Amino acid sequence: MKRGLAFILAVFLLIGMLAGCSGEQKADAGKKTQDGKVVVDFWTFWGSETRRPIIEKIIEDYNNSQDKVFVKHTFLPWGDIWTKNLASVAAGNPADVIINDINTVSQRAENKQVEELSKYIDDSFKQQFYPHLWDTVEYEGKAYAVPFNTDTRLLFYNKKAFKEAGLDPEKPPATWAELEEYAKKLDVKNGKQYDRVGFYPLWGSVGASSWMTNADSGKGFIDNGELAINTPKKVEALEWILGWKERLGENTVQAFQAEFGSEQANPFIAEKVAMWVDVGTFYTQLRDYGQDLEFGVAPLPEYEEGAGNWAEGGGFVAEIPKGAKNPEEAMDFIKYLTGPEAQKYWAVKNYDNVANIEAAEATIEELKGPDKMVYEATVKNLEQTKMFPVPVEYPDYHSRINPQIDNALLGKTTPEKALEKAENDVEKMKKK
Amino acid sequence: MKSSESTLAHREAGTNIIPERKSTNAAVKKKGLSRKAKDNLAGYLFISPWIIGFLGLTLGPLLFSLAASFTDYNITSKMNFIGLENYKRMFTMDDLFRTSLYNTIYYVIFSVPLTTAGAILLAVLLNQKVKGMKFFRTIYYLPAILSGVAVYFLWMQLLSPSTGLVNTMLGWFGIEGPAWLFDPEWTKPALLLMKMWSVGGGMLLYLASLQGVSSQMYEAADIEGATAWQKFYHITLPMISPIIFFDVITSTIGSFQIFQEAYVMTENGSGGPGNSLLFYNLHMWNNAFEVFDMGYASAMAWLLFIIVMILTVLNMKLGKRWVHYEGGDGK
Amino acid sequence: MSQATAPRFYETKKFKENVKLTFVTLLLIAGSTLILMPLWWMISTSLKSPAEIAQYPPTFIPKEFNFSNYVEAWQTAPFTRWAMNTVFIAAVGTIGSVLVNSLVAYAFAKIRFKGRNTLFIIVLSTMLIPGFVTMVPQYILFSKLGWVNTYLPLIVPAFLGSAFFIFLLRQFMMGIPNELIEAAILDGAGHLQIWWHIMLPLTKPALITVAIFSFNGAWNDLLGPLLYINDESMYTLQIGLQTFKGTVQTQWHYLMAMSVTVLLPVVLLFFFFQRYFIEGSNISSGTKG
Repeated sequence: MKRGLAFILAVFLLIGMLAGCSGEQKADAGKKTQDGKVVVDFWTFWGSETRRPIIEKIIEDYNNSQDKVFVKHTFLPWGDIWTKNLASVAAGNPADVIINDINTVSQRAENKQVEELSKYIDDSFKQQFYPHLWDTVEYEGKAYAVPFNTDTRLLFYNKKAFKEAGLDPEKPPATWAELEEYAKKLDVKNGKQYDRVGFYPLWGSVGASSWMTNADSGKGFIDNGELAINTPKKVEALEWILGWKERLGENTVQAFQAEFGSEQANPFIAEKVAMWVDVGTFYTQLRDYGQDLEFGVAPLPEYEEGAGNWAEGGGFVAEIPKGAKNPEEAMDFIKYLTGPEAQKYWAVKNYDNVANIEAAEATIEELKGPDKMVYEATVKNLEQTKMFPVPVEYPDYHSRINPQIDNALLGKTTPEKALEKAENDVEKMKKK
Repeated sequence: MKSSESTLAHREAGTNIIPERKSTNAAVKKKGLSRKAKDNLAGYLFISPWIIGFLGLTLGPLLFSLAASFTDYNITSKMNFIGLENYKRMFTMDDLFRTSLYNTIYYVIFSVPLTTAGAILLAVLLNQKVKGMKFFRTIYYLPAILSGVAVYFLWMQLLSPSTGLVNTMLGWFGIEGPAWLFDPEWTKPALLLMKMWSVGGGMLLYLASLQGVSSQMYEAADIEGATAWQKFYHITLPMISPIIFFDVITSTIGSFQIFQEAYVMTENGSGGPGNSLLFYNLHMWNNAFEVFDMGYASAMAWLLFIIVMILTVLNMKLGKRWVHYEGGDGK
Repeated sequence: MSQATAPRFYETKKFKENVKLTFVTLLLIAGSTLILMPLWWMISTSLKSPAEIAQYPPTFIPKEFNFSNYVEAWQTAPFTRWAMNTVFIAAVGTIGSVLVNSLVAYAFAKIRFKGRNTLFIIVLSTMLIPGFVTMVPQYILFSKLGWVNTYLPLIVPAFLGSAFFIFLLRQFMMGIPNELIEAAILDGAGHLQIWWHIMLPLTKPALITVAIFSFNGAWNDLLGPLLYINDESMYTLQIGLQTFKGTVQTQWHYLMAMSVTVLLPVVLLFFFFQRYFIEGSNISSGTKG
């Protein structure tokens, strides 16, 4: 038995040794650099070859601009980054700054996952940002994050296809009725199969909910705390989508969706679809892979004249996780990150919509040619872009609405009944 | 039983693996430790790494989650006792709970027998003396090595209704394939198909187990004129039954916890068309990390614990009837 | 073998055997094609240019083979460092896993000690709670121990046994005749000697399986390193793979090239390790009469 004990002891010794080695490593990950700067941990999900150098250049500029703070950037994969954030907030050792989703700030504020920032900011700071973005970061009158970037949806259309179909390439569809009319002209059928589809409302970076809010004068599913799911306009929008599906046929829709579902090839670039809704950065794909493509951009068609070209928006914020060790230094960095200089650099390099108004406008000035044309359109479109932050009373209301929309689109129920059930289900889950 | 003695003798004669230490027998007796006490001591010493890990790393978090299931724990700031509220909510308020349980049971019922049978069949095939077997085994094990998002994206392409490889091949036989991941009726079969593709992991277990079946037994059966099926049923199956037992229990547990596939292959982990891929653990995950209702998620976890525990104990009881341990005791 | 039979019969038997083997081979080839088709897509994507990947309809064979994708992908990040980290974690974990799990399994299979069956049920029950429910308290625990940003949370658990492997090895060990152990004990051997000299050699195929599974598991683990490691220099390959997935655009050619590269060592390991399967069969010829 002695040898048994010896063996087991050896195993634990090995573990102890490993613990010893790594304990030392931990020591140098302290709070300060050798020259006495405070280390600010900054977590992002920008690890790709295209984005990482840009954010790291911004960080480098900031680090060189002063001698008190050293920002250390850590890449963490999309999605998992927030799981880790949550665990580290719970354990009391979070990062100092993290990039997070813009539409769920109030939920994190409610659950005390983020630091409140109002003591660091004043009205003049606030006024740097688009108001619809700033609204999302406030919860009960206090700010919990600073908007970083955003997006909006535009209609991209193939000018060559327009000419072929006898349409004016400088006159994109302005209303739903025109959209339908144009789409029919743009369809190219080969027997029962479609060689080109004019338009389908659910392809691209857009979903049924976008059209439903577009029809309903930009009103979301939950409007100022009131449920607005089962409204006549939203039912109508769902019926309208269903109409498209019936016209093209289930098979065509599924085939296209699956073909391009893996996000590799894009049907608009492949000229298999003539009109396509997507975010501004989609342009970079057109620029890189769609050399022969002649395209134009326009705001989303409106439900009827005067109803408004409402589009849905998203984006990200910079925030300080609850319990961060260096909130003041972190805020100093956030101010730089969301300031005009860094934001403009980000916008020009990434072709992304940024939250800082001055930076966005300076970016338009700097860009040229088609780059400028599309970017200007996205910035202009922000005026008609709505954010739909998730209210704290209905934390995962999407999970109750989406299956019903699916069922309606699959023909299992009527749009009216689907939305009625969705509204009931969401009502039931309301948190007190 | 008589021949086992002879093999034993043969083995000891052939391989002298135990060093000669005749005197120790007496020495042990002198120390006064009975065999029973010695076995107790050795037993606990041998499992001590596991006990340390269990007490030090596993038990605490487990009890914590059990406690959390009676609270409104939100991971970061709240943990108030609310009694059985979470458990009540599952059965009365949460309609998605039922959907997720149904989807999961559906998946378990099909995936466990299919993967078990598939793995055994494959292992038997890969245990033949065919040229290039090393390559075949490697190829069939490949899918089990692959993991992560790339595989799921790959399958999304393969299952594409009109040009996907799966439907193209069905087309060769004049079958019009379904829309797989886009049709709520076919999403779960699609995942089962994907699961079958990577049956190589289970195959490896059976292949290892088949190495313990002696060729002499088959030769003896050949002389008696047994058919291939008789040999499989009377020799192979009993010999690998401990591993079948293991496979059934662990794959039941694993199937109840299916998560990643559905999380990656449905948009934003939403649960797929018409919630047809909203599995129990996916619903739990959404509650825990989207809504931060970890108390409720913990309650769900512990209900699942009870369900699977009952099944496992049942399996163990039934196992005594059909699992054959060559070592002699099944206790 | 069949010394008493007539040559004609012998021939038919051999003929039958050949037919069977040919059939099995054909079946295996057909199955392999099915298995390899998806993999081909991976490899073919890894060789395409981004422009070709964006093309519709997708090409089955790349128009030109950009082997440079592999080199470029490797150079986008400190992959050499990350590969070494991964090898270290996986190798140390595998050694621990094989030794400790077989030790624990031996006790559960062959030593009669008090409370063995109850403890075994507890072992199994640890598999029943999904990891993410205990993830946060476990993270807090490791954080309190000061283990965050070290490899300890990834390695130490491997040395403390896993229910899955304990159960698996116990099943294999229960197939080893008790008489063998009794005889050894009569010869004066202790349990540790029996474990080392009898059990380990006799369960070699099972141990190889455990080694392959644990190596594979550690190699593919994403959430573990991601949660516990804060320094990018200590990252692993699986986190590295995630850098190619962008929010706007995924670099498919790099992602697939690196996926293939990451896959390769495990495939080679499996290919060479499986010879022990055949060796194992020589040692443990059966016992049933």
